Amino acid sequence: MGEQRQILLTNINEPDQNTLSAAESRGAYKAIRKALEMDPLKIIDEMKASSIRGRGGAGFPTGLKWSFVPRDTGKPVYLITNADESEPGTFKDRALLERDPHLVIEGMLCSAWALQSNWSCIYIRGEYAYPYERTKRAIEEAYEKGYLGENIFGSGFTHHMVIHRGAGAYICGEETALIESLEGKKGQPRLKPPFPAVAGLYGCPTVVNNVETLANVPWIIENGGAAYAELGVENSTGTKLVSASGHINKPGVYEVGMGYPLLQFIEEECGGIKDGNNLLGVIPGGSSTCVLTADECKGVNLDYDSLKNAGSSLGCAGFMVMDDTTDVVEAILNLSHFYSHESCGQCTPCREGGHWIEKIFRRIAEGDGRPGDLELIENLCSQIGGHTICAFGDTMVLPYRSFIQKFRTQFRERISEVLKGIERKRNPMDFEVGGVH
Amino acid sequence: MSVAISDEAQKRLEEIKKQYPDPKSAVMSALYLVQEEHGHISDESITWIAEELDMSPVRVMELVTFYTMYYRKATGKYHVQVCRTLSCGLCGARKLMDYLHERLGIKPGEVSEDGLFSYEHVECLGSCGTAPMCEINDTYFENLTPEKLAGIIDRIQEEKPDLHFSTLRDKLGEGLSGCSKSEVM
Amino acid sequence: MSENGQAQEMVTLTIDDQEVTVPKGTNLIEAAKQAQSEVPYYCYHPHLSVPGNCRMCQVEVEGAPKLMIGCHTQVQDGMVVRTHRSSETVKQAQASTLELLLINHPLDCTVCDQAGHCKLQDYHFEYNAKPSRFLEEKNHKVKAEPLGPTVILDGERCISCTRCVRFCEEVTGTGELGLLNRGDKNVIAVHPDKELNNPLSGSVVDLCPVGALTHRNWRFNTRMWFTDTTESICPGCSTGCNVRVYERDGKVVNVKARLNGEVNKEWMCDEGRYGFDRFIPESRLTSPTLKGEEASWDDAVAAAKGLTSGKTLVLLAPDLHLEEFAIAQAFVQQVLSDADVVLAYRERTLTEVEAVLISPDYAANFRGAEFVGLVSGDLEQQYTQALEQLQKGAYENVLVVGDRALCVEDQDQSAFTLAMTQASCSVGILSDARSKLAQACAVTLPSRPFLEKSGMLINRTKRLQYARKVIEPGQGSEPSWKILGRIAQAAGQSIVEARTDRDVTLSLLGAEPRLKGLRIAKISREGICLDSYTPEESPADENASGDARA
Repeated sequence: MGEQRQILLTNINEPDQNTLSAAESRGAYKAIRKALEMDPLKIIDEMKASSIRGRGGAGFPTGLKWSFVPRDTGKPVYLITNADESEPGTFKDRALLERDPHLVIEGMLCSAWALQSNWSCIYIRGEYAYPYERTKRAIEEAYEKGYLGENIFGSGFTHHMVIHRGAGAYICGEETALIESLEGKKGQPRLKPPFPAVAGLYGCPTVVNNVETLANVPWIIENGGAAYAELGVENSTGTKLVSASGHINKPGVYEVGMGYPLLQFIEEECGGIKDGNNLLGVIPGGSSTCVLTADECKGVNLDYDSLKNAGSSLGCAGFMVMDDTTDVVEAILNLSHFYSHESCGQCTPCREGGHWIEKIFRRIAEGDGRPGDLELIENLCSQIGGHTICAFGDTMVLPYRSFIQKFRTQFRERISEVLKGIERKRNPMDFEVGGVH
Repeated sequence: MSVAISDEAQKRLEEIKKQYPDPKSAVMSALYLVQEEHGHISDESITWIAEELDMSPVRVMELVTFYTMYYRKATGKYHVQVCRTLSCGLCGARKLMDYLHERLGIKPGEVSEDGLFSYEHVECLGSCGTAPMCEINDTYFENLTPEKLAGIIDRIQEEKPDLHFSTLRDKLGEGLSGCSKSEVM
Repeated sequence: MSENGQAQEMVTLTIDDQEVTVPKGTNLIEAAKQAQSEVPYYCYHPHLSVPGNCRMCQVEVEGAPKLMIGCHTQVQDGMVVRTHRSSETVKQAQASTLELLLINHPLDCTVCDQAGHCKLQDYHFEYNAKPSRFLEEKNHKVKAEPLGPTVILDGERCISCTRCVRFCEEVTGTGELGLLNRGDKNVIAVHPDKELNNPLSGSVVDLCPVGALTHRNWRFNTRMWFTDTTESICPGCSTGCNVRVYERDGKVVNVKARLNGEVNKEWMCDEGRYGFDRFIPESRLTSPTLKGEEASWDDAVAAAKGLTSGKTLVLLAPDLHLEEFAIAQAFVQQVLSDADVVLAYRERTLTEVEAVLISPDYAANFRGAEFVGLVSGDLEQQYTQALEQLQKGAYENVLVVGDRALCVEDQDQSAFTLAMTQASCSVGILSDARSKLAQACAVTLPSRPFLEKSGMLINRTKRLQYARKVIEPGQGSEPSWKILGRIAQAAGQSIVEARTDRDVTLSLLGAEPRLKGLRIAKISREGICLDSYTPEESPADENASGDARA
């Protein structure tokens, strides 16, 4: 349990892996040939057997998601790859798209066959110009080779693939906001139901999956769902790409077997804490997950259940490490600015409450905190979480709550310094003067 | 109304429209094309795009103001966007901003006198493992220090490299010679 | 049963411990009304798409992991729903939503036109009523920004419910309005090259639940609590839009569309709204006249008796009430020996946007004239032919009832005036002293324009509606039914015995078999679809209706 396995990053360091010929020489496009000879429903069964859960953050079982797609509506089925990767702390999909795009394309092709979809789209965040270029070139190569287009591998299956650039909006990572954006609208999440599987892009059945999720599909086809389920631990099968960043010596993208011990990950993979400092805490799943203190990290493993039991979650494994020099007030102010900047503004609690909280955190950081501020923020968190259209509101409050709960002493100290007239020299993380937006 | 984009760009837009089951999906690309040719997106361009895609002009305007990568006024020829979100913040993004402030003598959102530079801080660019970093036009510069950024600015002034992503050519510019376009792995 | 007679599948659920049965597909906001529970809302509108953005209508649904929004949740059999009346969680959520909606609101009620009819004021009082905990600086946005000729925006008061945006997108299809930016910086705007200027533009002010959008021409003209309110019907065309009229010191100071899903949803055209008082003449007939000279009622009525001999053209305004048409019909049948009756009716071509709501006529009650049998067939042809015949001298007498008995297009024909002066007896029952008609009639008898009287109308789709008097009748005027009665009496006929408009309505409801069983109160609610109405045998007991305002 917990040993490192290579499914996704096997060839990531080969400099020519982005080209079709090199990728194919290392085994790419074998799985799709096999898939095309399988009954599409059998592939969905294999996905269910693999127990793979969506890697975008919510962890919904992928096979189950696919099985919700109705097959008899007469409408086309669309497959969308969510490459909007905007969760602070996450950059794993970028690595895949830049360095091994054919793995993603092949995963999409296998999935498209399973879903009987003739059109798919990679929605990539606008800032990812280089990954866009590499993936776009890979798609072109696949078309040139006849791996995309009509009658793929002589199977009679037709599939067209488009790559679509976003233009700067975190919320477009939410699947229904992504669909709205792809339809040429503001990226604002839709009310659910209906879910995309029933009425998604242009009102047609649509599956939206994360890049990493789909990149696992070729392996599952080649080795079988059962083999995949053998990897990792119960409820968390397979491997997971972890984007490690922050105060560590070797930040980067790592592939670990689900269940890999968290502290061991920091020490052995990430090369330990920078500058010989001590660990303060970790945000393990991307900024929208609860922070864990150094103490809480003990005995925790990188998988869904272990992190859940520890009071956080695996999310998309945007693993951010903070050492004990970190000013937690500035850190949470930094994140609260992110969330209020990225709130789509559609529904009241997130639009108004998110900004309110940022203003309070800013006031505390600037030395104007008041007794009752922390309780007010906690109360506002409960007014936001569970009351919004999409999960943005639910998850934005997780870091706020957990920072206050776990670093209450530091927050209180800051507020009491103000009351005692102690002036602190700020070391802010951002630049206050207004930007272009 | 005068033609809002070149014939070449118009042709490209037609190609893009055909990629989608509904041509309205091409609106974001249309905005990129206009921005590429004019440096920013004017009200007239918005009206033009709205006509091209059979949309109401205000719907297009909503997009320009919703997405951060569209500019309603021109930026500097090189627009430096420093990522400010947590990992970059923890690793010293603020120092990059301070450096730019000092070096260029302008505030975020302003354009330097020679029209060459502008800068702002932006939210997470998905480069947390190589923090702190910035994006100049559409090209990433990672694992930065103020000193490294100074060198980059110097060289940009000398070489005037193409750092833009071109929707017209569907290609990222050649970049700064000898600089990797990505350090993600 | 729906009005079109189709049986609907019904669903039974419990709301605040009360069992209610509603049609399948009903949402929880509408269903709660049946249980006398109010589910408050801002963004929801029964005739617009559901964005679910305000979060005011959250309710508790047993078994659901979190609160549900009433607008987007449909009833299900056996559902157990709790509103603020029986759920502390809902109460808290609503108080919280209100607190959040107000943090950036300028709280400038003292100078806001919406004060007194504002959902922020009302709901905050009902569902929160606590001081704010917000200590920070409020956001600033555009103030007093005209969006077009009719509507002005205060960006800081906006709660981003997008009702106005959706109206222009989904109803008029004109798409002028958008919500720019994101997060709490968002603001309603038009594209600089395209202002909010469509035939229904003022409707967005009705739809705005707060003071963000207000009428440019009624800006700062009164506090709403100093006005008298009347629920009436717009007389502009035969759509018969349901309206609420605000009057102060005899002047119309605001007009709002009133929700009626079968007629005008909650929309209204700008022509009807901003010109609501356009049919009140500036210069009034205050006493009868004979050949331009003031005369006594007795003398004038005696002169009008001249109508009884010879062929008479009866020219009727199309916005007379059904009661007036009924009396006119009795008058024609019992008093006049030989008469042709026509209605001033012309159709016009509507633009696509106008056609969303407006009817192609200016004839609010032409269906009423048809109903009582005064006219039938091609009304426009009959009208234009009658005018031609009149000019050819085919009629000895002319009786004109109502200021609008001549279409605007025909006002400038001097041949008409000439023909009128050559008639042996021309009588006008009118209110406008300066009108072409008043000047052309030998006998004028002062009556009342539409807004000064109450009565029934039948709209284009044959819906019977009740229009209430909005302002007090002008000095010296009499109802036109009474005037017709006096002329008939002078001619030895009794056609009406009544004291008030209400008496006339009641006697028509009692006497007309097709209207049996109807009451004013019942008609006033949403109107009655005459095509599907089955008259009841028992006579209407109007005294029980408690409706004494008519």
